[in-house]
Amino acid sequence: MSFSSDIAEKWVLVIDDMESMRSQLRMSLSSSGFAKLHLVANIKDALERMASNHYDVILCDYSLGDGTDGQQFLEYLRTNDLIARNTIFVMITAEQAYEKVVSVTQCVPDDYLLKPFTAAQFNARLEKLLDRQAYFADIDKASDSKNWRKVVAECDRRMAAKDKYYIDLCRVKCAALTRGKHLQEAADLYREILSLRQIGWAKLGLAKVLSDLGQKEEARELARELLKENPQFMAAYDFLGKLLALSGEKEEALQVLQQASSVSPGTMSRIRELSNLAVGVGKPELAETVMRQALQKHKYSPVRQATDYAVLSKALVNQGKADEALSVVAEAQKSFKDEHSVVVLSATESVAHRAAGNHEQAEAALAKAMEMGDMTKLPAHTVVALADACFALGKEEDATKLLHHAIQDNQEDEVIRNRIHDVLVGAGKDASEATAMIEASTREVILLNNEGVRKAEAGELDAAIASLTKAADRLPNNLQIVGNAAVVLALDLVRNGVVPDKLAKCLHYRDGLVAREPNHPKLAQIDSLLKQVKT
Amino acid sequence: MNDLYASIIHDVKNQLAELSLRLGQRGDAQQEVGITMAAARRLSEMLLLYRDDNGQLRVNIDTRDPAGFLEILAAEYRELFPALAFQVDTSRAPAFAFFDDILVRMALGNALHNASHAARSLVRLAVYQQDNMLVFEVADDGPGYPEGLLQTAGATPAQVSGVGTGLGLFLARKISALHQSQGRSGCIELCNASGAVFRMFLP
Repeated sequence: MSFSSDIAEKWVLVIDDMESMRSQLRMSLSSSGFAKLHLVANIKDALERMASNHYDVILCDYSLGDGTDGQQFLEYLRTNDLIARNTIFVMITAEQAYEKVVSVTQCVPDDYLLKPFTAAQFNARLEKLLDRQAYFADIDKASDSKNWRKVVAECDRRMAAKDKYYIDLCRVKCAALTRGKHLQEAADLYREILSLRQIGWAKLGLAKVLSDLGQKEEARELARELLKENPQFMAAYDFLGKLLALSGEKEEALQVLQQASSVSPGTMSRIRELSNLAVGVGKPELAETVMRQALQKHKYSPVRQATDYAVLSKALVNQGKADEALSVVAEAQKSFKDEHSVVVLSATESVAHRAAGNHEQAEAALAKAMEMGDMTKLPAHTVVALADACFALGKEEDATKLLHHAIQDNQEDEVIRNRIHDVLVGAGKDASEATAMIEASTREVILLNNEGVRKAEAGELDAAIASLTKAADRLPNNLQIVGNAAVVLALDLVRNGVVPDKLAKCLHYRDGLVAREPNHPKLAQIDSLLKQVKT
Repeated sequence: MNDLYASIIHDVKNQLAELSLRLGQRGDAQQEVGITMAAARRLSEMLLLYRDDNGQLRVNIDTRDPAGFLEILAAEYRELFPALAFQVDTSRAPAFAFFDDILVRMALGNALHNASHAARSLVRLAVYQQDNMLVFEVADDGPGYPEGLLQTAGATPAQVSGVGTGLGLFLARKISALHQSQGRSGCIELCNASGAVFRMFLP
């Protein structure tokens, strides 16, 4: 059997650790007309291939030797945006307990192929998947570029036909509405789907939207209901755990994640959450066990992060095992060399040294971390980790400065704010003091922004530009500030004609906005101003 | 399940997978592929039974294209039974429906396996809606179900017989019953027309 579509042009990647399966799949695929095939035995080779090639189809065996499994690999690919939405990912599995494989997680493959299968079955499935790929091509492209408005429009256009993809379209539209912050519309559509059928993902989607809308209690109820109906619904554990942790119920959150771990081998992100929570509630032994196991299992896998070793080190330090912590850090430093990891690990090393009584080495490691880190380029979590280390070494002023920056740069990020709160409490502040510090920093940035806008409205454009661009350079993730800096520059260009420097700066902020949030409401205003600029 | 048992089954399924693909390459070994697939199905049935015994048999319901689903199933059996004609009627199929495709595929695969063995020359597959239920139908032109089976219709796993009909039907019944919506659950129905007719109703 062969396909009518342009099969010979499709790039296919097969990942299977069994040589004999690879060669059989190669023959099956070749005789179906696929010509562009790459077959690899492990994740490392797969990633190398993927770095230089775009694949239309990825066929991945679930069991890839002893380390990272297919599901964990898929999660890694999706969370790091390493595959396009339109790439077909098929999980092949002979897994005996396939309920563990086919568990409802955040990252679901496009199809599961249970071994054994015949060539005809395999071809028939692939053909359907390729049809679907073509149907969703435009929508997926818009999703990849985070153009949620276009995703919604494209879905709407196709939904009128109520064809076989109708519910899939609803699902994609709901996700786009949620990402584009049209929360009420998303909730309404989820409810519409649920009125047709009580599907798990729709329920979870609704729970997430309700939580974003501030209806945390309803969200929690829905998640609990889901887990009662289907204890295999892994994504619901993750969501509920996060929700509980955010509202400060860390013990309960930890319980939920532990329950999840007993159902399914955890993905790295769940292990991460669980270990952080365990350290946070004073159960470093638990964090140690869980994280050690995971890191052992994924020893040679890219799903590990430097922060995983940092958590393990912290868990060890908290148990008084500073020497073990130091060797954990040393091990991590061998494999993580990027700037972000170096900063995190140096900060971690510093804390471990201090606990071991090596004060000079502690100071040196911290100095290295501080020296490396350009705060405006580091991820917020790293800045917070650095602050944590500063507190541990009694450098309260440095720590406060770092946190102040992290708060102002991530004004609307609830997770970061929550993490900062934890660090402050861990450093001995009481909860109300921590909250007050966070609020003060937030208030300051709001005032800064309002002041800039007020000056612009009063016609003091130069002053507005000066203060807003200064703030935007300092806080590149604070999109409100960045957006307003672009607006005042554009206003100036309209009124006073083009000054190349100012135009370049304005476009720089605009690009920053697009990269982080392509549908940011300020973009329309900036673009309409830029159109009026006389050249 | 005991890890050792589980990993043995895992290995056997891998071996069967390789065997079926190897045989498939030969082009003259459809019967052997058929035997391989039947052996794998017996293992899957055993696992389903095990999960059912332990209260772990659950459905994962999502949106599906019932017509496409049936066409894929038919493609597989056309390959395994090249001497038989397989007619697929999807003209009355709804555009989309909700069911657990992996479990329903197992249940229908068993019905299709039995039909293919019993048929003289023709197996007919259909999917349509009736009384707000999705109906999958598998019919053959063979001698029909024996009287005893029509009465019990898989109420209990029959003694393991030569063709293994009992267990497959028992599981099909379980799987359909696990599909529930708005107070209604699925079921199966067996009857004889111009051969055996198997129907699975899903709410």
